[in-house]
Amino acid sequence: MKSFDPIEHALSVNRRTFLSQSAYGLGGLALAMLQNKVFGVPTTSHRPDGWHGALQEANFPIKAKRVIFLCMAGGPSQFETFDWKPELKKLDGQPFPESFTKGQQLAQLQNAVLKARGSITNFQRHGKAGIEISDLFPNIAAVADELCVVRSMQTEQINHDTAHAFMNTGSIIKGRPSMGSWLLYGLGAETQELPGFIVLMSQGRTGLQPVSARQWSSGVLPSRFQGIQFQTKGDAVHYIGNPDGVCQSTQRQVIEEIERMNGLLDDEQHDPEIATRIAQYELAFKMQTSVPELTDFKNEPKEMLDLYGVKKPGDGSFASNCLLARRLAERGVRMIQLYHRAWDHHGNLENGMKWGAEDVDQATAALIKDLKQRGMLDDTLILWGGEFGRTPMGQGSGRDHHILGFSVFMAGGGVKAGTTYGATDELGYRAVENPVSVHDLHATMLALMGIDHKRLSTKFQGLDVRLTGIAGDIVKPLMA
Amino acid sequence: MTRQPLFVSFASVGCSLIALATVASAAESTPDNKVHFNRDIRPIFSDTCFHCHGFDPKGRKAGLRLDIREDALKKTDNDVYPIVPGKPDESEIIERLFSTDPDDIMPPPKAHKEIPLAQRELIKRWVAEGAQYEPPWAYAPLNKPAVPVISNQYSVKSGSPIVNPIDNFIREKLAEKKIEPSPEAPKAKLLRRLSLDLIGLPPTPEEVAAFLADDSPDAYEKQVDRLLASPRYGERMAVWWLDVARFTDTVGFHGDQNQRIFPYRDYVINAFNSDKPFDQFTIEQLAGDLLPHPTTEQLVATGYNRLNMMTREGGAQPNEYLAKYGAERVRSVAAAWFGSTFGCSECHDHKFDPIKTRDFYELKSFFADVKQWGVYSDYGYTKNAELAGFNNDYPFPPEIQVDSPYRQAEKKQAEAEIDAHLKTTREDLAKNPRLHGQFEQWITDSRAFLEKDNSGWTSPALSAVILGKGDKLEIDRDVLIDAGLAVQLEKPLTKDESLRIATRTGGVHIASVRIELAQNLADEKEIEASLSKSVKVTASVKAANGKMRRLGVYYADATDKFPRFTNGKETLGVVTEWKLPHSKPAKSPSAVWLLDPPVTLAADEKLVLTISGDSPLPLRISTSPFAGRTPLGLDVAALRSALNTNPAALSESQTALLADTWLFSTAADRADFDRYKELASDLRESRNGKAWTMVTQAVEPLLTRVLPRGNWQSEDGPVVLPSTPSFLPGREESTPEHRLTRLDLAKYIVSKKNPITARAVMNRLWQQFFGTGISSTVDDLGSQGDPPSHPELLDWIASEFRDNGWDFKHMIKLFVMSATYRQSSALRPELHEIDPANRLLASQNPRRLEAEFVRDNALFIAGILNTSQIGGPSFYPYQPPGYYDALQFPNREYVASTGPEQWRRGVYIHWQRTFLHPMLANFDAPARDECAALRVVSNTPQQALTLLNDPTFVEAARLLAGRLLKDANAPTDDARIDRAFQITVARAPKEKERASLEKFLATQRDYYREHVDDAGKLLKIGYAPPTQGDPAEAAAWTTVCRVILNSQEVITRY
Repeated sequence: MKSFDPIEHALSVNRRTFLSQSAYGLGGLALAMLQNKVFGVPTTSHRPDGWHGALQEANFPIKAKRVIFLCMAGGPSQFETFDWKPELKKLDGQPFPESFTKGQQLAQLQNAVLKARGSITNFQRHGKAGIEISDLFPNIAAVADELCVVRSMQTEQINHDTAHAFMNTGSIIKGRPSMGSWLLYGLGAETQELPGFIVLMSQGRTGLQPVSARQWSSGVLPSRFQGIQFQTKGDAVHYIGNPDGVCQSTQRQVIEEIERMNGLLDDEQHDPEIATRIAQYELAFKMQTSVPELTDFKNEPKEMLDLYGVKKPGDGSFASNCLLARRLAERGVRMIQLYHRAWDHHGNLENGMKWGAEDVDQATAALIKDLKQRGMLDDTLILWGGEFGRTPMGQGSGRDHHILGFSVFMAGGGVKAGTTYGATDELGYRAVENPVSVHDLHATMLALMGIDHKRLSTKFQGLDVRLTGIAGDIVKPLMA
Repeated sequence: MTRQPLFVSFASVGCSLIALATVASAAESTPDNKVHFNRDIRPIFSDTCFHCHGFDPKGRKAGLRLDIREDALKKTDNDVYPIVPGKPDESEIIERLFSTDPDDIMPPPKAHKEIPLAQRELIKRWVAEGAQYEPPWAYAPLNKPAVPVISNQYSVKSGSPIVNPIDNFIREKLAEKKIEPSPEAPKAKLLRRLSLDLIGLPPTPEEVAAFLADDSPDAYEKQVDRLLASPRYGERMAVWWLDVARFTDTVGFHGDQNQRIFPYRDYVINAFNSDKPFDQFTIEQLAGDLLPHPTTEQLVATGYNRLNMMTREGGAQPNEYLAKYGAERVRSVAAAWFGSTFGCSECHDHKFDPIKTRDFYELKSFFADVKQWGVYSDYGYTKNAELAGFNNDYPFPPEIQVDSPYRQAEKKQAEAEIDAHLKTTREDLAKNPRLHGQFEQWITDSRAFLEKDNSGWTSPALSAVILGKGDKLEIDRDVLIDAGLAVQLEKPLTKDESLRIATRTGGVHIASVRIELAQNLADEKEIEASLSKSVKVTASVKAANGKMRRLGVYYADATDKFPRFTNGKETLGVVTEWKLPHSKPAKSPSAVWLLDPPVTLAADEKLVLTISGDSPLPLRISTSPFAGRTPLGLDVAALRSALNTNPAALSESQTALLADTWLFSTAADRADFDRYKELASDLRESRNGKAWTMVTQAVEPLLTRVLPRGNWQSEDGPVVLPSTPSFLPGREESTPEHRLTRLDLAKYIVSKKNPITARAVMNRLWQQFFGTGISSTVDDLGSQGDPPSHPELLDWIASEFRDNGWDFKHMIKLFVMSATYRQSSALRPELHEIDPANRLLASQNPRRLEAEFVRDNALFIAGILNTSQIGGPSFYPYQPPGYYDALQFPNREYVASTGPEQWRRGVYIHWQRTFLHPMLANFDAPARDECAALRVVSNTPQQALTLLNDPTFVEAARLLAGRLLKDANAPTDDARIDRAFQITVARAPKEKERASLEKFLATQRDYYREHVDDAGKLLKIGYAPPTQGDPAEAAAWTTVCRVILNSQEVITRY
């Protein structure tokens, strides 16, 4: 990448633009330039109404323009989803061989007698490549040809909170930006009418664990890059609705009057923040208009609702959120993250997995099919998986947390469809073939988005901070 | 807008902007015109070379170190001399820097760190000039520089006259660039700036008028002194420190439960208000518990060490989390007091600064004595006897109970209200013949009762059965009722069972029900088995036809109990559950339930108690026709004595006792009884004027090892002892015989040996008043940070701070008295090219208010900000519903505070780490997971939406409208708009503003006259009483006020 001097550039290209920059510091200057399209020809944004990110040009060919991360919060079991272990089933109820577990970190099974627990379900081969998928997920199995299943994921954190942080930010140190923030920061947004990074939340019947707003924080990046959680109660976005007794046209008049007042202030103060503020009120009003349109499902035909299994549009179910995710993708949102809190099955794995699968199977498959039929699957990267997996050892009627081997899948967005990658040992304890770390997964996802993970950084406390830290390798075999 | 992190995004593209903007030009314009290592060269080396040729031996290439001069001058492994002073042509680094051969060029292309030509030329010049090194500026010894002498033009004629040395340093640089300082800001604007900076609130129009009218030479200084003396000052400055101390109300990990810590916040506020010297402030927070005979205040201060995030997650490994807590503490202490980033040295020696991994763990080991648990629970896999009985609702010990002035004020008020209420009740009783007749009868009945039951309690004959699930099935299991009427079970109830006890006869009056657990009838084994168990009781009346009627209980309490909690808050009394103590009480414990209201049973009615729980102890039931002020507060002897005294001879207190007991026991005057219940509840909620707060308790220090690559499971690293950082002067080290303590660390930090703390703290403080730090990277004074724009000024203020009693008010007064501070903040377009970021301070920098003060300002303007008390528990502002839905363990229900608490200052907002209040988050407040020395300042649509639609701000607008409409001095639209501007921005409106708003007002008036329903809705937003007057008029003005409160000027300190 050629070296670039933003000040020089701004001075020579556009003095007027420069005058509208922040007096508050150089950082402000640089950010304002990002916002105000000072850069020449955009190479990373694809729509006229978006804004550009920090990257001048893509490092790699752009395969995916957006990510939909279906986060199965709580950590679903790989043994009831994508990792068929007949040997484990044979050993069901027997002591788990100590040779596997000695000296390894456990969560709630610390100091307990370890017994093998075979899968509670059966697996069949699906699709052209014959990918083994559990019977609990017939709809996902039906789109096996779109999937790229990774069976050799490993993470470093064995408790929910820190494991989510690691999966989202590549670090457990607080203040690290999450993946969506990195994408917005690097690539900018394709729309100004909606936030560029949106989080949706749903929950199942059992296996719930808390999920912190920290997981979509922009950390040390400015708050403009943070994820915005859509609420299922009240306003979809905080403060998006007009106050009671204020109609849309009054609100418009209020905003125009605010802008007039701010304009008059600028005449005297010449504060570049004023111009930015005026622009933010315009954006706010656009959001006030576009969010209700977005969340109004009435022009979705009944067949579409049935495809996803949406019972009541906007009910906050995973199915409804998947349909909303597609609508967000259509409108140019860069990162859409769905959390489904349902997968922490320390006990009652049998019902827990069955209910969890009922919640997500149909809608996940529907999302893939729907994006495909709209020609959007090619540039939408879907990731399905939890913050970690579960032990091949039983814990009462369930399974404990496990970090040495678990499964996720990707679809669309330039991944190699209809494949599997990596493998765990015969009992599913540890990834032994082509282990993929969280940093590797991030590096690969960024690469699919056209970003070299080693080159997208921000300075914090004097250091270059990256999503992947100082680690991470692109897993080329996952890419088409 | 961010000041710091973003420009550097371009660092990945090749260079630091700072280097370009100030460094390159600085070298060309300094009087000696020489290249300086710290200012000019170190930033380039640090960004591009030190990664491979710096402090970290593991990453070092070719055996070359460029950070130490003697190493850089030595012949390398490749037989070349990297630097030959004075001879750039013979220096290998110059050859490599200018090489065009991709195999030779440095930095190598794969590093993506190309150095621009101007910087390469600078390095060449530096070598030619002798390659002189300087120690890293932040770690160099701190000496007070001489104050520069400034030419007459720049000291007097230009701008306003110099006031103090700050101006000398600033004007010296301006003079070098031939830049005139800006004139002083207009007086009213200056007062608004000063007021927002010092107390976080705008001046009132009256304060502005008084200042404008005061033309004495020290008029401004009087304002400075007034504001520094205001109790609001401490609340404003506390926000600044609470970010650094990572003060929050919740633990942060996983369930993010509440922690009890608000007295620490009181401590910080009081410290600023009383101008506690910073050295003492430091020592008390880090090591107050280790001081000889520590005061309660000093113990409260040690809450600082407990503000790291904590977990109670099932399955978490205690040692893993202890490692996390310890590492966070190192990062936060280093950031707060050293302005340094220790984070990376957890795993490896710092690449850019001389911070070694060992430094990290040595600093960590100072805190190895802080008592804490990796996992704050007593799980099967990790037993913690001290936490036995804890669940997700319990607090996070160790804690101490302290007096809370806020709660004591509440207590005093509640007591006064109860006294006044009971006095009125007595007077009513005397005046009301009907009531008085009932009272006389009660006296007679009560005497009769006491003659029969001397103790005030009666034990009725009973029957008892055990019921199964759903209260339906009778279980065939014996319940023994002995001659002493004790109810005995063969074995404890299961969780599906309950014990139903009924009196055999009715015809009695019951105000209190007592259950005694007859310890004396149980053997030691049963007593042991009863510890920590619980008893739950409901009371009903069974009519002759078998119908049951549930009785209310308004409060209940026990002689002995284990505390219960709801999300960290102690649940008072035993109304819903009586949890028995963990250790055997001295005598049989008992509990009393007060009925709401007391009940008189007909002869054919029975009292029925349904008891569940797992205590195996026999029960004794008694009832009383009397009730005291509190469940255990009935003094039967005093009552008997009063009842038996001739009415004419009753003392005042006896008269009161009789009348009050009559009220509590009969509720004959129902309204008075109900009011008493409310007041009694208020009194209880004042928690006897006390509060619990987390503190540091020293225990035997845990062994601290260097953890290779931060791996907490490793036991391979060397054991370390506490020592001060090796890169700072005057290092103090433990020996095996003498282990240094937190107190030693704290004393070192504030000793004259340590140069960095005064620099770091003053640099951060400077940012509060001038918009940017003298080094703009206030969170990193290391070599990757921004070199100071005025290094001598920074050293001067740091020395002044350190050598003059670490006195914040003294320093702040210096800052705000300076001519530099008082300059106009209007941007000067002609300076853009010379000084684009205004680092030379030729004018003041505008500063958007921080989140808390955006809110405080609006509420103050609205006239509803509650400043009646300093300190106290956090409160809950309005918050969108469902925001905490993803929080569990325990589940959270958010209830906004009611009454005046709703309008307390932002510093008191409940700080939930995992779900920070959306208004705070939108305005860039940090979650405070760790030390947050720098708040990013952004400008986003979410901020616009908050100011437009958050009920807090809509309510403020309608209250401001109400203020204007009620103002007798502002009877016209014109005058009201004028008044609104005076209140909000301390100035009169400009003609264009007035004209525009008047037109807008007319439109809104028309609208709301036609839509009165809408007006009504708008005027009801928030908990404050609806705005009075003509609804259309009030709504129209509310809309005008919304516009004003949303304007940039209102949320900015210009």
